[in-house]
This record gives sequence, structure tokens and C-alpha cells, in this order.
Amino acid sequence: MSEKNENGLRRQDEEAQLECGEPGRDEAARVERAMEAARRQEAAEHQPEEEKLRIGVYICRCGGNISDVVDVERVAETVRLIPGVATAKVHTFVCSDPGQQTISNDILEENLDRVVVASCSPFLHEQTFRGAVARGGMNPYLYEHVNIREQASWAHKHDPAGATDKAIRMIAAAVGKLHHAAPLEQIKLPNHRRALVIGGGIAGMKAAADLAGRGIRVLLVEVSERLGGRLNERGAVYPSERSGDELVADLERRVRRDPNIEVLVSSQVTAVSGFIGNFKVQVQPVRPDAKARVIDTTVGAIVMATGFRPYVPRNGEFLYKNEPCVVTMPEFIQLMRSVKPDARTLTFGKREIRKIAFLHCVGSRQLDGVHEPQPDGKLNTYCSRTCCTTILQQALTVRERFPQIEVFDFYRDIRTYGRGEEAYYTEASKSGVVFFRYNGEEPPRVESAPAGRRARDGAVSITVKDTLTWGEELTLGVDMLVLGTGMTPGPIEDLIGQMKLPTGEDGFLQEVHPKLRPVELSVNGVLLAGTAQGPMNIQETLAAAGAAAVKAAAMFAKDNVELNPYVAAVDLDLCRGEAQCVTQCDYDGALTMVPMEVGGEMVERAQVNAGLCVGCGACVAVCPHRAIDLNGWRLDQYEAMVDGIAADIPGHECAADLVSIH
Amino acid sequence: MSEPFIPKILVLATEKCAYPGADAVGKAHQEYPSNVYILRVPSPVLFPEDFYLGCYSKGIDGILIAACGSDCPYHGAYERLAARIDGLTSRMNAGGLGMERIRLTAICTVCIKAFLKEVALMGDALQQLGPVDRQLAARLRDESVERLQSTARLAQPAEALAGGAR
Repeated sequence: MSEKNENGLRRQDEEAQLECGEPGRDEAARVERAMEAARRQEAAEHQPEEEKLRIGVYICRCGGNISDVVDVERVAETVRLIPGVATAKVHTFVCSDPGQQTISNDILEENLDRVVVASCSPFLHEQTFRGAVARGGMNPYLYEHVNIREQASWAHKHDPAGATDKAIRMIAAAVGKLHHAAPLEQIKLPNHRRALVIGGGIAGMKAAADLAGRGIRVLLVEVSERLGGRLNERGAVYPSERSGDELVADLERRVRRDPNIEVLVSSQVTAVSGFIGNFKVQVQPVRPDAKARVIDTTVGAIVMATGFRPYVPRNGEFLYKNEPCVVTMPEFIQLMRSVKPDARTLTFGKREIRKIAFLHCVGSRQLDGVHEPQPDGKLNTYCSRTCCTTILQQALTVRERFPQIEVFDFYRDIRTYGRGEEAYYTEASKSGVVFFRYNGEEPPRVESAPAGRRARDGAVSITVKDTLTWGEELTLGVDMLVLGTGMTPGPIEDLIGQMKLPTGEDGFLQEVHPKLRPVELSVNGVLLAGTAQGPMNIQETLAAAGAAAVKAAAMFAKDNVELNPYVAAVDLDLCRGEAQCVTQCDYDGALTMVPMEVGGEMVERAQVNAGLCVGCGACVAVCPHRAIDLNGWRLDQYEAMVDGIAADIPGHECAADLVSIH
Repeated sequence: MSEPFIPKILVLATEKCAYPGADAVGKAHQEYPSNVYILRVPSPVLFPEDFYLGCYSKGIDGILIAACGSDCPYHGAYERLAARIDGLTSRMNAGGLGMERIRLTAICTVCIKAFLKEVALMGDALQQLGPVDRQLAARLRDESVERLQSTARLAQPAEALAGGAR
């Protein structure tokens, strides 16, 4: 029950969330219910304002995440006394099928015409509950979401009385807001059935090929001269030991052959605006070129397959750049690829390599006080996930190809987590690779060998406090040191800025939810494929790219995109045509003065173009007649919410016994 | 023997930045006082001055406008907001309500520390100021409404407006 994962979210909670969605039900019953609700709503509209409100309030325990802190029963008892509240119920998981079903049923059986759910952040389940409400036959915009988990139980854990009081007030605020709510209809806009895939590595190619396979046109943009990305720099890849070139060639063939895919190499996306279904994008050649042209086009979805940038050590980090024999993993792989098939020895410069060392976790899992921060002041605290297996694969390859070479492996932990990857560790051990384990706080020291002894002892010496031999300090000379460098975020700052994409603490693009929505970004219509999101191996990258393609394809299943109707609206009974609002609007055509007939006279009045209005509300504040407002976020709704927060609640003692501060 | 003063703090948090920022605080299980009430807004630019003054007249002691700053998704909205809050702050100061009761700040989606700091600063400031003077706030609100209404032009004859669309 109280077992928690790293995010502090109870397992049970996750399970319930995974089960969320549209509860299975009988279609005929649904239609009947919807019709009855419509009849009821029609009848209700002829009743006086105050009487017709029947608000249902649902308070979620979130399996203890909320109810361990907030006294949910007390919240229910108290909010029942608020005018307009017809019912208030507590449920262990309102987002579960039975929870949602309760709401849909109550709308019919208890004649509810407004609904409030007090649960987690609206970013997780506002849409879920709008759906439940709609299935009950109610307009989904007569629903209000109250956040009593992220912004109450989790944030006021040591103040249960205060958290309970806050929950009551926030529900009172939502009820107040609903008193001023009107049914709204979603705005429908055309959905451009075409996707932009940014990045032509394996993730981008896979996403493009999968999308095209579903009949969706794709524009695939790659910044370098050829497709394939980082895989072009690799030899055989684990765990299949298939050549990376072959993988690239296979995918490239699929991509190039598909008439639905337009490939632009040496090109970059320079501008992105708009929204799901209607992104305006500009693609320019990387180098100004008479033949290549600037393309302005419209796409409905964007797949971010922009990949990673390999970590490059600082000059002097483990003697990198000071000693030529200290190389990064990508550099070592290039060296191995350049070896002639009949070569019996591995040479670097003119020197034969007899002893080689691999060092794990270079540029990854950095610790405060041990490692120097990156230029942006941050440490790469994350694990790059692919370096361990890559190192073991390369170590094994060296042993198999050149049995005379002694191979040493300096690791912090071995993280060969994927299927088939552990075998590399076993095989490397069997083949005679010698392992040393170091503590994160005490990484090995690398020093140049004295000039006279380099030929015999190796060019650099590595000193390690080896925890496998209970902390014995060992020094070892080698001819080559390979740094197991990790992954860092790709150079996409411009796109991040323009598209307002969220990034994690680590600088990689951040999904909406690691488990529930792993390939979606919070910007609707923008999807994640591969290492733009964080370190992944090839299998994970391809899986993510496939998932992103399916998600994008699902978006195109509808002819229109439906947007929340949160746009400005003019009340023609109040508008005097003074145009003050128009002066505040920065969006061309969103708000204009138009001649119209009002009360038999021709006058000029403000008019909103719902497709162009972004719903910022800049116009609202300046109208002396309060004739313009923002649908769904009306001023009178905010005033009612403040009343809910500030005012006394009937039957609710808001004295010091409930409200507390610490 | 007076009870401790527990100020009511209203946070107007932008949907794209500060609201998810406040969520991040909870997700990180960081705590702040429970008398901090967060309302989600597309952009606080929508509020006229009298809205804020009305909040004080209802007993809200301090308002933290947690906006997106330079990350504002709407053209020009943050600049307009900043200018509006500037005017409001000086009028609150001149009117004797205390300019520390309002604060415009930018909170990003992962700005946990910034959120906690701003909330703590507001709490400290309000402890210094004490409870808001609701009558004074109501008076300032009424003045503000009058000022806004005075910007209305006199109703013009219909034929003068029939000239055509802008």
C-alpha cells in the first residue's frame, strides 16, 4: 500500500491511472442517457437561475496520496453545504473506470448539471473527467478541476488541517466558478494530414517510414548531408552485432522508396509556429545554395528526432587532448573500423597497442564536488545507459580480434540492463578482461608516464582505489585509454525556444509523463522519438520512434482538430464599439471592428475570429463596459473563485483550529 | 493574547509556466504554507486593476502574479502585464495599501526554488504589513472602476460609425 516509486507516486495510483479511459458500456444506453440529459437540460433552462444548479463534487483519495493528508470525508461534509452543491462523494480513484462511471451515472440519476472533481493536477486528468462528464450527456465545459494533490496533500504534508481547509476553499472556488459557467463548444479547425520529422537518424527514419506506412505524408529534414545520424559513426551494434551501416541502409531504402516521404538533407527547420493540426514551418538549406530553396509549409504534427550530442571531455579531463592515446569511445570505434581485415596488431600513431584500458561513466553520473560542472554550470547527473554495454562490446571485440592485447576495465557500476546485454559482461570476463571497480567519489587518476618508460610501461598510468580488492590502490600503465563517454542533449536550443518545448533538469526534452504519456510533449502535436528525450539504446530508440509515429497517426484519424474554446467573446448587449480592446490585440485579424446591425441600427462592434484568437485576454482588462471576456476564464468567474477562497463557508469553522501556518 | 496573523496569499499562476511550476513543487514533496491559494490563468494580463483591488477588499492579503516572463507564449502579453502591474503598484503605494502586497514574478515549469522563495518572501512581507485594510481596498477598487469607465467615450450617433470596417 505504501510502497512508492522514485516519483513518490504510489504504485496503486499508477495502476489505476493506466486503467483510465473510456469505461466500456452499452452504446444504446449511452445514447438514451445522453438524450435524456439533453431533454433535462432543455427543461432546466426554463427554471430560474439559482434553482437550476445541481453541482456534483467528487473528491479523490488517490489511494492515499491525497487522503493520508487531506481529511477527504470532512471536505465532502463541508462542501455539501455550499449553495448549488447537490452531492459530494469521496472515491479512492475517481479516474478509474468505476470512478468515472459514478460521475456519468450521477449526472443522470441525480440530475447534475455541473461537476467538480478534486484530485490531481489538471494536466493529468482534466481531459479524462471532461470525457466522463460528456459521456453523462453534459457539456464538458461545465466541469471544473481542483488540484488537491500536487498543490495540497503533497505540498502541505505536515499541515493536514491546513491542507483540508485549502481543499475546501479551492472546491468552493470551483463551485463559484461554475455558477458563472456557460456551455462551450470546441473550436474545430482543419487538420493537416502531414507530419514533419526533424532529424534523419534511425529514430527519424523509423518514425517517417512508419507514418508513411499509414498513408501519411512526411517531410523528413536532416541537418547533415546524409541520413543515418550517429549510427553512421558506429560499427557493429549490440546486441545483434549487426553492422550499423546495414541498419541505416535498410531504413534509408524504405524511406527513399516511399512516395509519401519527402527527404531534405543539409537542411534545417528555422521557424515553427501554430499548433496541432496547423503548424507553420520553415525549412532552409544549411548552406546558402542557389539550387536549394526556403520552404514554407504546413504540417499537422511534428516528431522531434533530433538525437543527442556525444559527450566531449574537457581538455585535460583524464588527460584527454593532453595525451593522444586518451580517446573517446566514438574515436576508438573509428580506429577499430579503420583496421584492415588482415591486421594482426592494433596500432595507434606508429605505436602497437599491447595494453588498453576502458573507463566507464565519463561525462555521466557526475557528482557535486567531484566533477567539474559543464559550461552551463550543471552536472550531468544522469546515467547515459549505453556506455557500459558499448565498452564491454568493444573490450570483447579487442580480445577476440587481438588476443595478445591485455584489456582492463575501470567501472563504477556495470549497467548492462537490456535483454542480451548481460552476456557481454559474462563473455568479456571469460575472455580475460580484467575489471577494477572504483567509488564515484574517487575516480581513477590518469597521469603521463615519464618519457624514458613510456615504451615499456605505456604512455599513461591509471591509479585506482579498487573496491573489488577492498580498497587496494593499484597503478597500471597502458598504451591507450578509452573514455566511455556518454550522451548529452543535442544542439536544438533554437527549436526549444521557438516551440516552447519543455526540457528536464538534464537538458533533454521532457515527456508529459514518463509512464502514461512517454512520447508526447506538453505542446500538443509534438512527439518525441529517440535520444532527444534522453539516453537510449537503438532498440529503445526504435520503439520510441514507432510509438511516436502511431501517436501522430492517431492524431490524423480526425479531419479536424478540436481546440478548447478559450477565446475572447464580445457581449453585444454591452459593447459600445469603442475599440479599446482592439488596440490591445497583437494578433492580426483576431479582433477587429466590423459594421453590424444591432437593435435596428448599423453600428461598429468588436468581433473575435475564434481561429486566430489565442485567448491571452489582453483585451479584457481595458474595456470600460466589460463587454469582452475570455470564454472559460471569465472575469466574473475569477471574482467568484476569489470569493470562494476568501469568504466564510457555511458550516465551516475557518478559525485557527482549521487554518494553520508553520 | 492575539491569534497569529495568517495572511491569505493568492497566486495567479500562468497555465504554461507557473502553474506546472507549482505542481513541480508538490511533486518534489517540497512544502509551503497552506494559506497559499493558486489559481490557473492563461495570462494575468486579462485582469483589470479593479480585480486585484477587489481581491484585497475581500480579504486577500497578498497577491503573487506568477507569470511566464520572457517565456510568455502570447505576443506582447507579458510587456502589457508588466506595465499594468507597474501602474497598479504605484497606485497601491500612493493609496496606502502597501505596494509589497503585490508582486510580479516569473516562475518556470521547473522553478521549484523560485516558487518557494517568492511564496516565503510574500509571507514575510505580509507579516510585516499585517492584515489588509479591506475598506481602503474597496475604496481604491471603486476609484479604479471609475477611472476605467471614464475612458469610455460618449455614445456616438450610429450614423457616424456606419462609415465602414477598420
